[in-house]
Amino acid sequence: MRFSSLLKKELRECLPWMLLAAIVFIAVTSVLLRIETYNENNDYRYSRFSPGTVISNSHYNLTNYPTMNEIGPWLFVLSVGLGLVLGIRQFWIPNFTRTWPFLIHRSVSRITILAAKLTATSMAFVISIVPIWIGIYWYVTRPEVFTVPPPLRFFIEGWIFIILGFVTYLGTALSGLSTAKWYTTKIFGLAFAAVVMLTTFSQWSLVWIFTVIAVSTAILLSQIFQTFLRREF
Amino acid sequence: MSEIVLETKALTKYYGDSLAVDHLDLKIPRGCICGFVGRNGAGKTTAIKLMLGLLQPTAGSSRLLGCDSSRLPPAIRQRIGYVTEGHRLFRWMSIAGLEKFQRAFFPNQWDDKFFADMIEYFDLPKKKKIKHLSNGQRAQVSLALALAPNPELLIMDDPTLGLDAAIRRQFLEGMIGLIMREGRTVLFSSHILGDVERVSERIVVIDKGVLRAYCSLEQFQEAVRKVIFTFADSVPNEVNIDGLLHCKRTEKQLELTLVGIDDEQIAEWARSVRAENYDIVKMNLEDQFIEFTAPANQKRLFKWEER
Repeated sequence: MRFSSLLKKELRECLPWMLLAAIVFIAVTSVLLRIETYNENNDYRYSRFSPGTVISNSHYNLTNYPTMNEIGPWLFVLSVGLGLVLGIRQFWIPNFTRTWPFLIHRSVSRITILAAKLTATSMAFVISIVPIWIGIYWYVTRPEVFTVPPPLRFFIEGWIFIILGFVTYLGTALSGLSTAKWYTTKIFGLAFAAVVMLTTFSQWSLVWIFTVIAVSTAILLSQIFQTFLRREF
Repeated sequence: MSEIVLETKALTKYYGDSLAVDHLDLKIPRGCICGFVGRNGAGKTTAIKLMLGLLQPTAGSSRLLGCDSSRLPPAIRQRIGYVTEGHRLFRWMSIAGLEKFQRAFFPNQWDDKFFADMIEYFDLPKKKKIKHLSNGQRAQVSLALALAPNPELLIMDDPTLGLDAAIRRQFLEGMIGLIMREGRTVLFSSHILGDVERVSERIVVIDKGVLRAYCSLEQFQEAVRKVIFTFADSVPNEVNIDGLLHCKRTEKQLELTLVGIDDEQIAEWARSVRAENYDIVKMNLEDQFIEFTAPANQKRLFKWEER
């Protein structure tokens, strides 16, 4: 009951940004898909790509698939943007951080308070981006849409971008919670998230990508919990 | 001796090089209404946050309801009401929403009727969002939220700051509602001495992080006094008397503010300096507090132990 009360409060605070992200994502991808369907089918018609080319190793890397080339950066920017906004909103903006003493003095442990925040943000990502991404994949894999339907990897790469958005949120949260000066260790969280992104983009193997993300998420989560439990409010 | 619900031992807090609270020793028994007063930056908010475990002490310790403040478990927090400085609540929530939120943390002790009565007494619109309420209304919501769970210990950080006289009175009367509940302990910080005078039994005076006085309100009022000595010729050049807080001279008069000096000592000193006569002037609590904590008197710190 206490956790659900905290969760509801956090979700309500995420709501405007969830809606905004969903609306922007729907609007942008619907325009891009219309252009992309036209272009990609033309490419095939004029033999720029033959079937199978786009999924060969020599061309393939994150965002290299033609459709992903267009939608991928948008999904990435949107996801990272959502992560940044939610992280800043929860842990940086004075109007909200001023309510910390009221929030911390609840009859729950600090872990519960933080868990509610992290759960709400995960749910915000899942609710606002994931259904749309699933809808897009369902749409682009229909036989009449693309001459060469995108492979499953296209779908998985979208998930990677969504998860990178959550990693950005964790990095922002860690930086926000730090009481150090911004030019010293306070920047660690955001810098770490940036390094994770660069590392991810330099990888080809999905196993490596997910390993990097899993390890870095675990590091960020442990740092956030430790900082939050020790932090003064 | 009654149970101690709030105890600090040499509680000290530094922010970098700056000392905010310096070896604070307090023992507040159950059922006590205690006013916590000090000038701006005296360390009241820091001390309260240390007591509630929101800040970590640099040295010393604090215990609330028998539990170490830095590790207050949820079950203990549930027994403590806290009104934050500036009444910072979730601005997007309505009063009804905030009530629902707060009630979830006090499943077996939330008093719906008491909350409804307080909201009605303060004439607050339940559907209105916090961001649309005035400062005074937010203070009233804060108080109602803190009191409805019927806490054993209520800690309020400058709850009447920025409120007009009428709202302040209403707020204090609401607070008295809690005091009427038997065995409740209240610690509230304030700049407004009239408020402290109205509801407190005991007073804690803190100045630059140092505990200057902790005693009953009557003791404080009796201890700090102003005496005007009149001289036939001229006033003495040197004033050497214990407990001197402040000294003001005119041609034939010497106005001294003293602490912890009884009538006999005053009479004796008057004789020793050959004063023609003297008058003990009654001071109100605000004047006493100002004299007692005036910066010019920092070097004349009077170590005052409760008698």
